[in-house]
Amino acid sequence: MIATLAASMGLNPGDAAFWMPLAFMGMLFLLVLAGTVFDGFDIGVGILLAWAPAEERGRMMNLLSPWRDANEFWLLLGVGLFVAAFPFGWGAVLGQLYGPLTAMVIGTVLRSACFELRIRARTEHKSWWLWGFWAGSVLTAFGQGMALGRIVTGYQTVAGYGWFAVFVGFCAVATYVLLGSSWVIMRVRGALQQRAANWGRHAVRWTAAGMIAIAVTLGLANAGIFYKWSNLAHIGVAISTWVLLLGCFVAIEMILTRIVAGRARSLRAAPFLLCICLLALMVGALAFSLFPYLILDDLTLWDAAANTDVLRLVLVGVGVAVPVMLVFNLLAYRSVFSDEVLRN
Amino acid sequence: MDISPLQLARIQFTGSASFLAFFLPMTLALAWVLLFFKWRARVTRDPGWTAAYRFWVRVYALAFVLTLAGSVPLLFQLGSLWAGLMDKIGNVAGPLIGYAVLSVFIFKSCFLGVMLFGQRRVSPAVHTFSIFMVAIGQMAAVFWVVVLQSWLETPTGARFFDGRYQVFDWPAVVFNPALGWQLGLFALTSALAAAFLIMGVTAWQALRRPLDHAEKLAFKAAVVLGALAVVLQVPVGVGSARVTALHQPAKAAAVAAYWETGAQPSFTLWGIPDSRQKRTRHDVTVAHGSTLLGQDAITGQFQGLDTYSGMHPPVGPIFFTVRVAVLLAIVMGLTAWVVFLRVRNRGFDPSVLSRASLRGVSLLMFAGSLSGVLHTWIYLFGMQPYAVNGTVTQTEILGPAASGSLALALTSYTALYVLLIVAFLAMLFHAARYGVIPVRKVGRAA
Repeated sequence: MIATLAASMGLNPGDAAFWMPLAFMGMLFLLVLAGTVFDGFDIGVGILLAWAPAEERGRMMNLLSPWRDANEFWLLLGVGLFVAAFPFGWGAVLGQLYGPLTAMVIGTVLRSACFELRIRARTEHKSWWLWGFWAGSVLTAFGQGMALGRIVTGYQTVAGYGWFAVFVGFCAVATYVLLGSSWVIMRVRGALQQRAANWGRHAVRWTAAGMIAIAVTLGLANAGIFYKWSNLAHIGVAISTWVLLLGCFVAIEMILTRIVAGRARSLRAAPFLLCICLLALMVGALAFSLFPYLILDDLTLWDAAANTDVLRLVLVGVGVAVPVMLVFNLLAYRSVFSDEVLRN
Repeated sequence: MDISPLQLARIQFTGSASFLAFFLPMTLALAWVLLFFKWRARVTRDPGWTAAYRFWVRVYALAFVLTLAGSVPLLFQLGSLWAGLMDKIGNVAGPLIGYAVLSVFIFKSCFLGVMLFGQRRVSPAVHTFSIFMVAIGQMAAVFWVVVLQSWLETPTGARFFDGRYQVFDWPAVVFNPALGWQLGLFALTSALAAAFLIMGVTAWQALRRPLDHAEKLAFKAAVVLGALAVVLQVPVGVGSARVTALHQPAKAAAVAAYWETGAQPSFTLWGIPDSRQKRTRHDVTVAHGSTLLGQDAITGQFQGLDTYSGMHPPVGPIFFTVRVAVLLAIVMGLTAWVVFLRVRNRGFDPSVLSRASLRGVSLLMFAGSLSGVLHTWIYLFGMQPYAVNGTVTQTEILGPAASGSLALALTSYTALYVLLIVAFLAMLFHAARYGVIPVRKVGRAA
């Protein structure tokens, strides 16, 4: 497939002009995935603050504390790499997503500022900042979902597509709630854990609805993508994706039901891991559908990539960034899967 | 009222840039001031310096949070508001923005946590080193942004070909003619922002209670820094005006309100420019004063606004902004030197100043930051109607967003920025009045 693709552009797979954009797209994909998972549980816990009893809210914020610095940077790194490697697609994509991105940016600013200001605020003001963090989380999730809804419908602006984007925005909130609550289930025990399992059960249905809606819309709105998923060469991929997707949903639902009932304590990491699988499947399937386009049927990633000599400069930056990122993230996330530990 | 999308986009971008320009200079300079406090504490063993560090690191942390938060909207607006921009200058701007993000990522992830929360976990030398790295890292990030900003004014090292800039000489892109003066101006604005903030807050405290030793030490450092920076501002200001005259003659003509090409004009000190009648009303002029801008020395002739067929910056806004900025610089200069001379032989103790002077100094608390905002306005107004000086106009890069959503976004951003500024002020004054207690993040032993 790679060789055919290169030949169709008159390039050798070994040409820098061919493989560098591809490599950057791979990195961008990993950044998006990491951002969805790690910033995602952060957003999810933020949204859940509204449903948590008042005395648990501070504890939930503290749970996030060690990872905030690492979590909030995925978005910036992703945007930085996007603009540096694919500048000619950047404005085209971001310009079409003005509304959703504005919601996301305002949400992100609120989250980032409120979290830090809350730590330094007077005790009587702490709850204001907590609500700011909540509002920011909801806005960020909704904005990201709206953006996704616009992307999969090819940025069409007819009214019906707008409502679809709103629906996907709502489902994205649910997805982050599911991710956040399954992370809480893994991290804490006791009443909060059971509560979280209950939140997760409500969210899992809307997550499933959203993901299936995206898959169906993507296939129906674009004949090329429908063909990609339904032709015989890829039918195995299609079937296994659907089986895995549905399997994950069923398994999450079953485990959550048991945790709500006070059983299956040994499986408490499972919902979070299954959620990661779900998100990886969704982001992967989206990438597979869109590839090799950045804007469907319009702009390939090679069209959008900067000149080769510019990409070499970007590669130098990536060469500096990756070791720092690996060390920093390994240090920051090494205990992400562990239990709540109250230090000091 | 009907405002065009272009105007709304300009207002929104200018607003976001102003928010950043308010907090970025103080963040940038406070890191160096904190490094100085830390170093003095180590050398002199005077606990006052440590106490000063402890108070001002809180203010620094607040300013940093808002700076980082304020940079996110600007980054996204570059893509979503000015959607066509990267298509023209992506080969130049892409790596620069990428490196700026990378620089922030590196110093924030590696050193900022140690600086703010790790003081008791690491040795004093490592802690001092991490403050140094944060200060350097911030400068590195700002460097890339200033490179882009100055390149947009003086686009050298790249050729505009087939609707896209292609770089042929990276050193010429980075070290473009406007870079040096802009960096200098930025550094001095930052120094002034920190100096006047510290002077102002300390004066505000002195109006309420006797100062302690640490506050007097911080005041001394700030007065010296401020007095030096205001002096250096003069040559740097003149230098950047000359670069403007050479590379952005239309902007220079708008600043001077020089309407019609002709004989050597007299320099307009003040007046009310009237764009419709193309003249300046109630003007106060200095004969042959236009040599101040150096336009004649470089080009040998004077070009009025009539030579640019409308493709020049809006005269009113830039005319007034430049004059307000100069006035503010003069007020800061006089204040810094009067205070310096008054307290110099009295141990730099602000309590020797009269209550009226203290009130004056505390009113100028944000003068440095405001001059940063004014410089941003001069830059942005002066770029109009271009996005890249002389080649790419703002009209052609404007994104597809409709007036309605732009207006909604503008309202939301305004509310957000007002909230954050009010929070900053409230927390700053609370800290100034009652002192600070160290914070810790759960999971970070410190």
